This record gives sequence, C-alpha cells and structure tokens, in this order.
Amino acid sequence: MSTSSIRRLSDRLAMAAVVVVIVVGLVFLAAPLLVTALLAFDARNYLGQLPPPALSLHWFDKLFSQDYVVAGLSTSLEIAVLATLVNVFIGGAAAVGLDRATFPGKDALLSAFLSPLMVPAVVTGFALLLFLSNVGIVSGFARLLCGHVIITLPYTIRATLSSLVGRDPRLTEAALVLGATERQAFWNITVPLIRTGVVTGAVFAFAISMDDVAVSMFLTDPTTYTLPVALVANMRASFDLTIAAAAVLLTGITTVLILILERLVGLDRILGQGLFRS
Amino acid sequence: MANTVEFHRVSKRFGEVQAIDDVSFSIASGEIVALLGPSGCGKTTILRSIAGFEPPDAGSIHIAGSDVTRLKPYERNVGLLFQHYALFPHMTVAENVAYGLRHRGHPRADIPARVEDMLGLVQLEGFGQRRPHQLSGGQQQRVALARALATRPGLILLDEPLSALDAKLRQDLRAELKQVLAAVGSTAIVVTHDQEEAMSLGERVLVMNRGRIVQSGAPGEVYGRPRSRFVADFLGRANWFQGVLGETRGGTALFTSQCGLRLVVTSPEDVAPGVAELCVRPESIDLLTDGADAKPGSNRVAGEVLDVALLGAVRQVLIGLRGGGRVLALLTNRAGDGVAPGRSVTFGVRPQDCVVLPALGADERRLAAPTRH
Repeated sequence: MSTSSIRRLSDRLAMAAVVVVIVVGLVFLAAPLLVTALLAFDARNYLGQLPPPALSLHWFDKLFSQDYVVAGLSTSLEIAVLATLVNVFIGGAAAVGLDRATFPGKDALLSAFLSPLMVPAVVTGFALLLFLSNVGIVSGFARLLCGHVIITLPYTIRATLSSLVGRDPRLTEAALVLGATERQAFWNITVPLIRTGVVTGAVFAFAISMDDVAVSMFLTDPTTYTLPVALVANMRASFDLTIAAAAVLLTGITTVLILILERLVGLDRILGQGLFRS
Repeated sequence: MANTVEFHRVSKRFGEVQAIDDVSFSIASGEIVALLGPSGCGKTTILRSIAGFEPPDAGSIHIAGSDVTRLKPYERNVGLLFQHYALFPHMTVAENVAYGLRHRGHPRADIPARVEDMLGLVQLEGFGQRRPHQLSGGQQQRVALARALATRPGLILLDEPLSALDAKLRQDLRAELKQVLAAVGSTAIVVTHDQEEAMSLGERVLVMNRGRIVQSGAPGEVYGRPRSRFVADFLGRANWFQGVLGETRGGTALFTSQCGLRLVVTSPEDVAPGVAELCVRPESIDLLTDGADAKPGSNRVAGEVLDVALLGAVRQVLIGLRGGGRVLALLTNRAGDGVAPGRSVTFGVRPQDCVVLPALGADERRLAAPTRH
C-alpha cells in the first residue's frame, strides 16, 4: 500500500471514531429520557418490564389529581415568572453597569455576581436560610423568590453582558452626535440591540428556576414548596411512575421555551434584527 | 471668512501615550481640510475631541465662535461620518436619516420631506424602507452621509470615510463625496491615512506624526515641497540622495551626491549649504529617448535601465547610475515605450523638482520614520 493511501485510511478511521463517539454520547444522553417518556405512558399500575404492553395517560391523571403536585407546580410557575422578571431588571441593570464600568474592582464584582454558578447549591441554600431567618424573612414564598433570583442572576447577567460587549459602541456615539442624550441613545439604540441577549437570559433564568431542587429544599416551608421539591419528597415516600409523568411535563415546558428562543433568535437572524424595531 | 474651528494648544494623553501634543490649527468656514497621518498619529483623537467624545487634557476647542471644549456631543451641532458607517441596524434607511432630525428638534411634519431630499442628494431615492443590511457597502456609506448632513451641521467630520470600500468603488464614491460636500457648502474635516484621499478631498492637508502637525498646506505644496523626510515619504514615493549642497548662485545651487551625481537645484530657503538630503519624485524624471531634448534648464543624467514593471497606467523603471546608486522613475506608458532592461538611457530632472532637505542624524532619522502598522 502506498503512503498516500495509508494516510487516507488513517483519516477515515479517525473520522469513523469521531462519529462513533458522537453516537454513543447521544444515546447516553437521550436513552434515559426516552425510557422515562415511554414509562410515563405505561398503562400498567406498577413498574414493569419494557416495552409497556399498552399506553395510557393514567399517570398524568394521577399526577394532576394530587394536591401537592398542583400546589407545587403553581408555586414553581409563580416563583419562576417573578424571579425572571426581577432578574431581567436587576441583571440587565448590572450588566449595563458592568459594561460601562472602568473602575478597578469591576472584574471582582462580576465574579461576585456569577459566584452562584461556582458555589455548591447546598451551600447557597443553607447560607440563605440562615441569613434570611436572621433578618426575619420566614415566609417560604419570599425565601424561595430570594433564592431563585440569586441562582438565576448569573444567567441573565451573562447573556445580557455578552450582547452588550458584542454590540458596536459606535452606534451609541452616532446617536449622541446626532443629538440624542445618553438616556435617549440607551433606549433607542442599545436596548433594541441587546434585546436578544436579554430574552435569552430570561429563558435560561426561567428554566433554571423551574428545575432547581438543591437550593429550594432549604427554603421551602410546610405550605410553600416548588414542584421539583414536592416530587423528590413524594418519591421517597412512595415510588411510582407519576414521577415519570412529571419529568415529561417539565421536559415539555423546557422544550417549549427553547422553541420560543430558537424562533426569536432564528427569526432575528433572518430579518437582520429587523424584529426588534424601536 | 470667520473660522469655523479653532483648535488651540490641545493635548490629550492615554496612559503612556501622548495622543495629541500641543496641537493648534484653525479651519475657515466652508473649507475642507484633510488630516493625514499614519495610524496612531493622533488624527482620530483630534476628530473625536472635536465631536465631543474625548475631552482634551489641556487647550480649548471653539466651533463657530463658541467654546465647546467641555460640551457633550449632543450639545454641539457636528455631523460625523464613521469609517464603518455605524448605521442603526434595527431601523430603516429613512429612520436612520430621520434620527438626527427627531433629536435636534426638527418640526415633525417636515421630517419625511427632508429625509427624501437627503436621500435624493446621495442618489438613494426610494431606498427609505430598506434596512441597512440590504444595501451594499457604498450605499450604506451614502446613507450615513445623508444621515450626517440631514441636520445641516455647521461642521462635518469624516473618519476614514472610504477605507472600508474596495478600490474602484472608493474612487467613484470619493468624487461623489466631493460633489456632495461642495453642494452643501459645509465645513469638513477628513481624517485619513490614505494620501490620495487626503489630497483629492482636502483643499488643505495637515500632515500629522506622533501627535503633532508636521506640515500644513495645499495638497500640491505638501506633495511637491515636503519640508521633512517623513512628509516626503508618507505622501508618495521619492528617490533620496545624501550629499552636499553648494553655495547659491542666481537662485540655484549645485548638489553633489555621495555617488557622484551633480544636480542643479532650486535654492532651498531654509537649508544652509553643507551636508543635505535631496528628494526627487519618481514622476518628475523625464526619459530622454533617442536625442529628445531635455526641458530647458534640466539636469541630464546618464544611466542604465535595470528593471521595467508595467503598473497599468504607468510604467515603473529602475535606472542604475554610472557612479552607483539607483533611481526609480514613473513614466506614462507612451513615454516608457520601448524601454527595456540593459538599455543605456539619459534622463532629465528640472531644478525645481529637486527638493533639498537638511540632513538628519541617525536619531532624527529614526524619529522621522512613519509609524506604519
């Protein structure tokens, strides 16, 4: 065999290896989700062998007939919506401030804002519980809201900041030279241009808030708990496939959010930011 | 004529870098001035300080008689054309052009008509509803020009206005830009590192290096009578000879180069006899083919053609001199016809085309080198 064909063969082998690794990775990621989804529609009343002999929605029936699930889901949605709204404002404001800042502690401040990503959730949860009790905040809802704002803040700050950094600063200068004040230039030019980043951050914040267990566990009270916390508690008490139905539900919510995001960002690309008219 | 811009003893420092070093100049109303220099010479900082983005550390800036040194950009009536257009991508062309009118308190009812007028001025009628990204680079720059001129600014600043465009389009747009600026009669400052752009757009050229203005004058004067090696080298190509300048006799003097070349030169005003440098532009060399006479009073020099390169409109000829040394000549295709390597030639140089400059020490030579990147 000539050298050239050996080199081509080794190229092909490397390529094949890459494909194998990708396929194995995908199977590893997707298979548990598919099994869970399948089990959620299992018509049997017990956890049996795959594949299920018949399909039914009775686990979903059971899921929504349980008061704690309905209460948890509504608390989760309320907390997620509120935390996201709060975050769009304070995360957006922090990002704008950090983007303009030139003072020496800027990087340290950014690290502090992003620290919930690095600090273990258990530590965040426990520290918050102690702190909030000390300052007299004992309502479960207020505690959960505080906690969720903190753990989702890094996502909104990061997404907003990256769109701020990526924008052309000369556009603001152009607006100023054309007679707009700093404030007018911010609302007319900067905000429309970073809207994609803000929306991305908001979607992430919502998804993280809906999904959180570790921090929320510390902050619930007997009457206020989020859906994931309720599910974990229930799973310990009685294991059945309502948990699979809940998993499908949560996955569904996330999928819808990602589709919304894709549509916003994707359309944005097609129209060249034309979607975001001021 | 009243001065539109008074730039008085302005300095600006960025950390270790002295961007502008005690610079003063003034610009008359209606005048178009080009600020020319290599990147990092401070020309953009001057532009940004006039626009109001970089308040100077020292000195004052007056526009139309009033002190604007500490005013915000939106408190001055200055138009600015950016190198990369800086059109608002989320607005239509018409909204872009209307932006300044809306924020400068133009009567709302008149805005659409004014926008149409401006688009007409830059030959973009009917493009009002397009988005900037649907336009070509040249069209985008024309929208930016319409936007900058819409509010009738007393002064318009152009920051490397054509350098983002390809060469051919740049020439077309340069002519158009010149017409539009003449049509509105606005005072303008063009910042550029492109000598062609500076000389074709500017009625006066300010050449900058290392935070200072090194020469100022009409384009022909700055090009033809450079006062330093930096200016001569930055504005085009030049042949250099080191040598000795003799005593003046009847308005001319004899320059003897190290390679033995002897040339009659027009006496320089500010160079004393002694060691000096001589600069001759390649296009002021006339090739004297087959007994053709030199222009009256020309120096005649003999040499041998070493290399010929056709550059399109002109032919570049490298000539080796008898006493050593080389001369680069740019000839029109007609004049350079039949010139081939190996041929002995005689060329003529007029005394007034020989620019004598004081000789530089090694240190000054280093400082005079353009900071090209």
